[in-house]
Amino acid sequence: MSSPNTPQEEPFNESQPENDENIVKVHASIIREREEPRAGYEPIPLWLITVFFAIIFWAGIYLAYNSGGFSKEVYNPELVSWQGGGASVSVPPDPKVIGKRLFTQNCVVCHQTSGLGVAGQFPTLVESEWVIDAGPDDWVGDNHLVRVLIHGLGGPVQVKGVTYNNAMPPWSQLKDDQIAAILTYIRSEWGNNEPPITSEYVQTIRELTKDRTEPWTQKDLKAIPPEKIQELGAAPAPAEPATTVPAAQPAA
Amino acid sequence: MNKLPLIFVGIFLTFTSAWIGLVAYPTLNLANVEPIPDEETGGVLPPTTSGMAIAGQKVYASAGCMYCHSQQVRWAPLSTDIAKGLGTRQTVARDYIREKVAFLGTMRTGPDLSNIGVRQTDANWHHLHLFEPRTVTEWSIMPSYRYLYKTQKISGQPSNDAIQGLRGPHAPKPGYEVVPSVDAKALVAYMLSLKKNYKLPESPEPTAK
Amino acid sequence: MNSPSLLSTINPATEPDKLDSVERAEIDASTRGPVLLFFGTAIFWLLMGSLLGLISAWKITNPGLFDSISWLTFGRLRPAHLNLVAYGWAVPAAIGVGLWLTARLCRVPLLHAKLLISSAIVWNLGILVGLSGILIGDGRSIEWLEFPAYATPILFIAYACISVWTIIMFRFRKSGHIYVSQWYLFAAFLWFPWLYATANILLVWQPVQGPAQGAINWWYAHNVLGLWFTPIGLAAAYYFIPKVIGRPIHSYYLSILGFWSLALFYSWNGMHHLIGGPFPAWMVSASVVASVMMFIPVITTAINHHMTMKGHFEALNWSPTLRFIVFGAVSYTVVSLQGTFMAIPALNSITHFTDYTIGHAHLGLYAFFTMIMFGSMYYIVPRLVGGEWPCANLIRWHFWLSAVGIILMVGALTLGGLLQGLALYDVASTFRSSIEFATPFRVLRGISGFILMGGQLVFAYLFVQMLLKPGSQKKSPAHFDKSDNSSNDSVAI
Repeated sequence: MSSPNTPQEEPFNESQPENDENIVKVHASIIREREEPRAGYEPIPLWLITVFFAIIFWAGIYLAYNSGGFSKEVYNPELVSWQGGGASVSVPPDPKVIGKRLFTQNCVVCHQTSGLGVAGQFPTLVESEWVIDAGPDDWVGDNHLVRVLIHGLGGPVQVKGVTYNNAMPPWSQLKDDQIAAILTYIRSEWGNNEPPITSEYVQTIRELTKDRTEPWTQKDLKAIPPEKIQELGAAPAPAEPATTVPAAQPAA
Repeated sequence: MNKLPLIFVGIFLTFTSAWIGLVAYPTLNLANVEPIPDEETGGVLPPTTSGMAIAGQKVYASAGCMYCHSQQVRWAPLSTDIAKGLGTRQTVARDYIREKVAFLGTMRTGPDLSNIGVRQTDANWHHLHLFEPRTVTEWSIMPSYRYLYKTQKISGQPSNDAIQGLRGPHAPKPGYEVVPSVDAKALVAYMLSLKKNYKLPESPEPTAK
Repeated sequence: MNSPSLLSTINPATEPDKLDSVERAEIDASTRGPVLLFFGTAIFWLLMGSLLGLISAWKITNPGLFDSISWLTFGRLRPAHLNLVAYGWAVPAAIGVGLWLTARLCRVPLLHAKLLISSAIVWNLGILVGLSGILIGDGRSIEWLEFPAYATPILFIAYACISVWTIIMFRFRKSGHIYVSQWYLFAAFLWFPWLYATANILLVWQPVQGPAQGAINWWYAHNVLGLWFTPIGLAAAYYFIPKVIGRPIHSYYLSILGFWSLALFYSWNGMHHLIGGPFPAWMVSASVVASVMMFIPVITTAINHHMTMKGHFEALNWSPTLRFIVFGAVSYTVVSLQGTFMAIPALNSITHFTDYTIGHAHLGLYAFFTMIMFGSMYYIVPRLVGGEWPCANLIRWHFWLSAVGIILMVGALTLGGLLQGLALYDVASTFRSSIEFATPFRVLRGISGFILMGGQLVFAYLFVQMLLKPGSQKKSPAHFDKSDNSSNDSVAI
């Protein structure tokens, strides 16, 4: 390059334009042009070829592990192995898992996935005296908790010293074992650690309160003496659910 | 490469490979999915939808709801969709056989609607929400769909269809009421029909936390 | 080359035949009508489409804006915006650039230009019908295919004519050598009608059952970008970079590798828009793999372009064409690598369903494709109207408004999208926080839209000036660097 600012490096490949009569018809911009582009022939660098083969190798491995055996029935590559389609191994139902599912479907709108509720609107379930046994001043027993789920709750209530005034709808459309599963779940999640509620106990309370049509108020509930499910000899001790049932997954 | 026919064969074959995998394969394997019998009720899964709900799909497409709302629940740990309550299991091909257009969506500017019919079961809530979203969710950025509703003078008995509990700047004056158009009713019927809470064998519910 | 042996077809030792300026002028003149018509309508729809995009951007942060007007609802403006900029601006711009390049590289004048002029009119009629269809509520809510069933046949007929006419030029080409730009042009003009016909038959005219639609939808939508806009953009870059700086493309072998790996891998990419979606796992995984494999053509092309430019970057100081094209080529590398990362499931689980994707789309379609089209037009239009761009300063404004605008837009959407995605993924976080995190960035995006539109208005003004005053008094080309005028006047813009 003669000068860094002179882009004129290549000689023009024009056929002596000044001698051509037709040149008057040609626009100035076209005469100025450089020749049509050509290709140079530098080789492909070796490191590039190496990188490419490494990517292709990775691709093979990735497909082997994530293709779900190329089956049209397999949607989640993590759930299956090469041996077969989404095998469903039956496991004893864990009330906490069922409870979590039901809670997610029905309760998270107000109480949130975190169980913390919404400040000022929906009370927290985490370490709430309504859910767990909070010591000698706690007037809320397990019987109260089940009643709230069956018939709902209205009017002002105090939870962990905060007053809420909102309405919780009744959930009597849920079956006994479903209510039990939800309660078992919320009593064992987020650091809560209380014994499970059995479906027999829910059934007992439902029988006791079958004439009631109104949601409960805090005043009504306070009139009922508290019960603790573990102290009830009548209710059969529930089978301790498997703490964490391992996922029934064939090794991927 | 100076031979045009050879280039042609090359671009034809590379393109065909993907065409077979991503067009022919789904057309042959995913476009004729049948419902399966529901052993509990004797019906079929996924359940059939009403004519109003099918009409509502057209309104959904016409209003472009799909540009902000997805309709798919993805598996964990790829997503936290199930933990966040969008559904109980991953959605699979069979879930969409009732849809004229599968509104899978690519954006969640608004929440996923795969199971909106499970979460919000009240038609009046949906009408309130469509008429003026900020009366039910004050921080919503959804546009209003007032053009699907008509404000009219109450003559004699109030209409059975009138939306209950309207508030805000667009609430009707005393003596007036807001009634949904056929399109609005169809759209709400479609919303209420969006329930993917039945069980399908190819989509097991997650069994562990 | 007449040798029938297979070896000769990959024999690099062919040189392009010399093209003298008279022949070149004749060829350029033969394309004048259709190319200028495509460019003019493209610029008009670009302005309209951007305006609709701007309104939708502001509606998302001000949901009360025009909220009682059905045809201005967000769910109609957004697809109208996309279809106008894609089919109204990008496709005609690509056709115009593609026609001009094909004619020049094949060394054949365009015959019967009236056919292409009619096709351009029919195409734009189709756009108008489709746009009205979306706004009155007939949009189909299938991304990239929103135009109603009564508009797409018009577009297809127009496009089929254009495509056939372009392919015919290859058939009658004079030069034995086929330059790398021609591979891309040839492939693009074959792929797009196939894509468009398949997608319309299976999704619009005779829709298949719901579960299959998503795969076909994204096979189409991604390939419009990958197998139509990208090849045309790369063809232009492969032509104009060596043309302006006057030296050969670095490596023929890298060109070959880049072209074939793009053809093979890009076509498989579509399903990465549906990761976790209701499709058999292998389909999604195949697209994830293909998206990662896109590393190969992208790096190859980037090296090829960079090594060609090496030692000639000072040309960016004076050539508007080169400055736009190089901006676009660099953006191509960035957007493609970003796309590769977005397809990796662990990262996709954050970016999916968020504004991040919108930022990615604008990086591809604006920072890469549109900038390359602008650059090409700066080169082509003076040769068609026989005049020079009236004002280098306005071109400079156009460049900087576009560059700053698009960087601001993509940056805002990327950051906002990441925060939004983290909130959507985090179990403890509410949906409301995903909106609140994204909102300030959405406001920034709205501002960037004004900047981009400013640049487009400058360009539209320049283009209209070129049409109204052909053969202007200005003799020298509109170069940026005035101090250097004497030496640069002798070469192309």
